[in-house]
Amino acid sequence: MIPKALAVSLTGICGPDGVIADRDRLLVYESDALTAYRHRPGAVVLPRTTDEVRRAVQAITRHGLPIVPRGAGTGLSGGAVPLGGAVVIGTARMNRILSIDAANRRAVLQPGVINAELSAAAAAHGLYYAPDPSSQTACTIGGNVAENSGGPHCLKYGVTSRYVTGLTVVLADGSVVRLGGQGREAPGYDLVGLFVGSEGCFGIATEIEVGLLPVPEGVRTLLGIFDRIEDAGRAVSDIVSAGLLPAAMEIIDGPTIRAVEDSVFAAGYPTDAEAALVIEFDGLEAGLDAEAARAAEFCRCAGAREVRSAKDEEERLALWKGRKKAFGAMGRIAPDLLVQDATVPRTTLPAILKGISEIGKRYGLVVANVFHAGDGNLHPNILFDRRDEDELERVERASKEIMQICVDSGGTITGEHGVGLDKKHHMPLIYGEAELDTMWGIRRVFDPGEVLNPGKVLPEETDPAARASRDDGAVGEKPAAAPAPAHA
Amino acid sequence: MSEAAPAAALVPDRVVLPESAEEVQAVVLEAGEAGTRLLPAGRGTWLGAGGWGVDPGTRSEPGGGGEAGGRSESGGGTDNPRIVSTERLDAVHHYEPADLTLTAGAGIGLDHLARVLEPNGQWLPFDGPACDTGTLGAAVASGVSGPLSARYGATRDNVLGLEVVTGDGRILRIGGRVVKNVAGYDLVRLFTGSRGSLGVITRVSVRLFPRPDADVTLLFGGDAAGAVAAARRVCTHEVPVAAVEVIEGDEGGVGRAAAVAVRLLGGVDEVDESRARIVAAAGADPSAALEGGESRAFHERRIGWEAGAGVVARLAALPDRLAETLACARAVAAQTGGATSADAMQGVVRVKGSCGEGDLAALAEGLLRGRREMAAAGGTLTLSQAPAEVAARVGWTGGGGEEGGLTSRIKSLFDPDSTLAPSCP
Ligand SMILES: Cc1cc2nc3c(=O)[nH]c(=O)nc-3n(C[C@H](O)[C@H](O)[C@H](O)COP(=O)(O)OP(=O)(O)OC[C@H]3O[C@@H](n4cnc5c(N)ncnc54)[C@H](O)[C@@H]3O)c2cc1C
Repeated sequence: MIPKALAVSLTGICGPDGVIADRDRLLVYESDALTAYRHRPGAVVLPRTTDEVRRAVQAITRHGLPIVPRGAGTGLSGGAVPLGGAVVIGTARMNRILSIDAANRRAVLQPGVINAELSAAAAAHGLYYAPDPSSQTACTIGGNVAENSGGPHCLKYGVTSRYVTGLTVVLADGSVVRLGGQGREAPGYDLVGLFVGSEGCFGIATEIEVGLLPVPEGVRTLLGIFDRIEDAGRAVSDIVSAGLLPAAMEIIDGPTIRAVEDSVFAAGYPTDAEAALVIEFDGLEAGLDAEAARAAEFCRCAGAREVRSAKDEEERLALWKGRKKAFGAMGRIAPDLLVQDATVPRTTLPAILKGISEIGKRYGLVVANVFHAGDGNLHPNILFDRRDEDELERVERASKEIMQICVDSGGTITGEHGVGLDKKHHMPLIYGEAELDTMWGIRRVFDPGEVLNPGKVLPEETDPAARASRDDGAVGEKPAAAPAPAHA
Repeated sequence: MSEAAPAAALVPDRVVLPESAEEVQAVVLEAGEAGTRLLPAGRGTWLGAGGWGVDPGTRSEPGGGGEAGGRSESGGGTDNPRIVSTERLDAVHHYEPADLTLTAGAGIGLDHLARVLEPNGQWLPFDGPACDTGTLGAAVASGVSGPLSARYGATRDNVLGLEVVTGDGRILRIGGRVVKNVAGYDLVRLFTGSRGSLGVITRVSVRLFPRPDADVTLLFGGDAAGAVAAARRVCTHEVPVAAVEVIEGDEGGVGRAAAVAVRLLGGVDEVDESRARIVAAAGADPSAALEGGESRAFHERRIGWEAGAGVVARLAALPDRLAETLACARAVAAQTGGATSADAMQGVVRVKGSCGEGDLAALAEGLLRGRREMAAAGGTLTLSQAPAEVAARVGWTGGGGEEGGLTSRIKSLFDPDSTLAPSCP
């Protein structure tokens, strides 16, 4: 609960509909889509404009409370969870597309615009917004910017960061800054690039300029069915190294297939298969058939028992269905789901997939993989029941081992979901003291008082300020270089 | 090189050539203690830019260079920037062709790198200024992209990880070598384009691409206005193209006032089809069509387009303002007896020229006028090469935008004592 005086001033700024303070209505703001972490916010405010955000930030910080920005709450790393009684600034009412400039293939929008709505609006101009997280019918562009989200088609088109060209941001001190804009040629540091992926810790994005692409003329979609998941991994790696550039390559493993087929989302994938690989090519009609044929051949060579291809849009949607509904279906077969998000070098996919399945077996856990295979971005999801304490402990140990083999292969701890609350303790797996110190420093450049989304991304124990107070003044020394296995 | 005589105080006392990040660190720490300023560099291709008055031809290597932080003969405390060159950090550390990623020392020449990738049918499509003979590290530090960024993304989109030595001597390994990575804040993008003001880049991981099977460049000749209109038509056409340039004067090679160069990259069928449709849209047959190696060579030559010019500027605005941006660029070109080259997809126009001693004041005036015109339409004019006096009057970039002091706070986080000579870009 927030002080009365603050509630009054927030109501003054955002109107009575723009402030939520009653306990029942605060419930949905306790967590994001990773429901394992729950904290009740002090209140939620829903501003409509940059100026309202600015005034709300000033009012909240005057009362010394932390602030957590929030889009649609579909995040999978606990990023929007309000710690310490924080006030949530939600962007739900900042949902207007301000302009679509077809001649320059760009759009300016408020952060609460839903990802898929932007593409729908741009379609009138033959354009679309390329980054397509699987949650695109629910998640906001503001959340995408904060997480630097990816999606199936980012294999060919790149992730959010490539498309964000300008930002208006309200900083923790209530000032408003403009970064980039009118394309991204602005001289100076790439502050837009630095902001993208900052997980709500640097500022609140209140206006976002993005680039759009022309809708591709043709699409070809294939579905390869495999008896061994490593074979599907090998097909992916072979296709990439042969110089083919599919728009998307997604793997759905056996446990996931069975979950989907048992659910209302049944997509007609064979339930005895151990992997299904969705491959899509897009672009000019000319040449698409030949590319698809080559990819199909790579699948067969890698051991696919069957390769289906979609003849029309309806069949295409059917092939995708099993992939798109995977998370929803898994939610139905286990009370809890731990979603991992590591990236590994593509060539290590077969070995890593095998390793993950062995770890699952060793701990007696069901691990269901559904992921962006073309980018090497894995989502090993562990199904469990948190009421079973023994299982919970095995889940934690297995999850850590999975992370470790991914990092050891030259990979990283998160490819698109962000660090948030969930993975911050894994940060030392890939970064040493020097890197973590620097990240703390950069955070404080934007937000010296740690007002915005405190307790996220960086583990507290790595805070150089905390270390300094512990060591009583030893900060003057040059920090030593620490090895970071992820790089070289 | 700049024709202006370098100010005596700016002649570098020496060039150091460290062979590892630890040696760079030692050089940086020593410079910090001695109060010597450091100027990070690759092969020094563009050292004339930045106003250091440095002529790479005069460099020396006392003590054979390469010794970690070798002793400074000139003593500390002078104003002379010492050049710390990454040239010897030129090893390929990791190259797995099937992953389409590579990690190499920052000092590897992009020409050398191209030869490493060629046998596997791969390339790094960096085509910004000096990306022909410059180093990988310098391309990342300058962060300037070329016309191919429409197709392959800008430089920043293809840098996966970096090792840097900061201005206060910390070695940081940021990002990684996988193609998707959101672990922690994106310091890689901060360093890409930081122009040596935050640290010395010592190692780089990049994303690679397969070389497309077909490479065709269609050249359409015409008058200047017609060329711009034709280029804009191609840019907004449904057929995706790899790059569209408007080249004025003889360099278009078609004997007309201007040429539009449309580059098509992709599979053979795709490129054939694109070609037919682009020609139909243009309403005229191309004056010339370059295929395969010829097309590639044409563009590779253009990467070095500005080399050696005394005055180089870059004007940018939204692509649909190409005619206005080009007009503004032509005014600068006229003053410098130079030429323009436009990247129509990005709305960027480059100008190169030269400047005699007598015309400096007028040139500065002209550049400032151009910058005001560009700014009025939301665009920018940045200098990348100019006589020191002109640069001093005009400023390289024209100052920061509305970023509320973030830039200077970032600079002091990495380089609190301004050991690195480059100020914020
Ligand atoms: C079924 C499912 C599938 C998914 N698939 C994908 C996928 O394919 N790829 C992918 O990358 N992700 C995926 N996600 C994760 C999630 O959808 C993305 O991270 C998305 O970008 C979050 O957007 P949101 O609006 O829900 O943000 P939220 O969850 O509300 O917030 C996420 C973070 O962004 C910050 N934030 C939100 N708005 C702003 C703003 N305006 N300014 C500053 N910070 C802000 C918050 O503080 C928080 O840290 C999936 C999630 C689900 C549930």
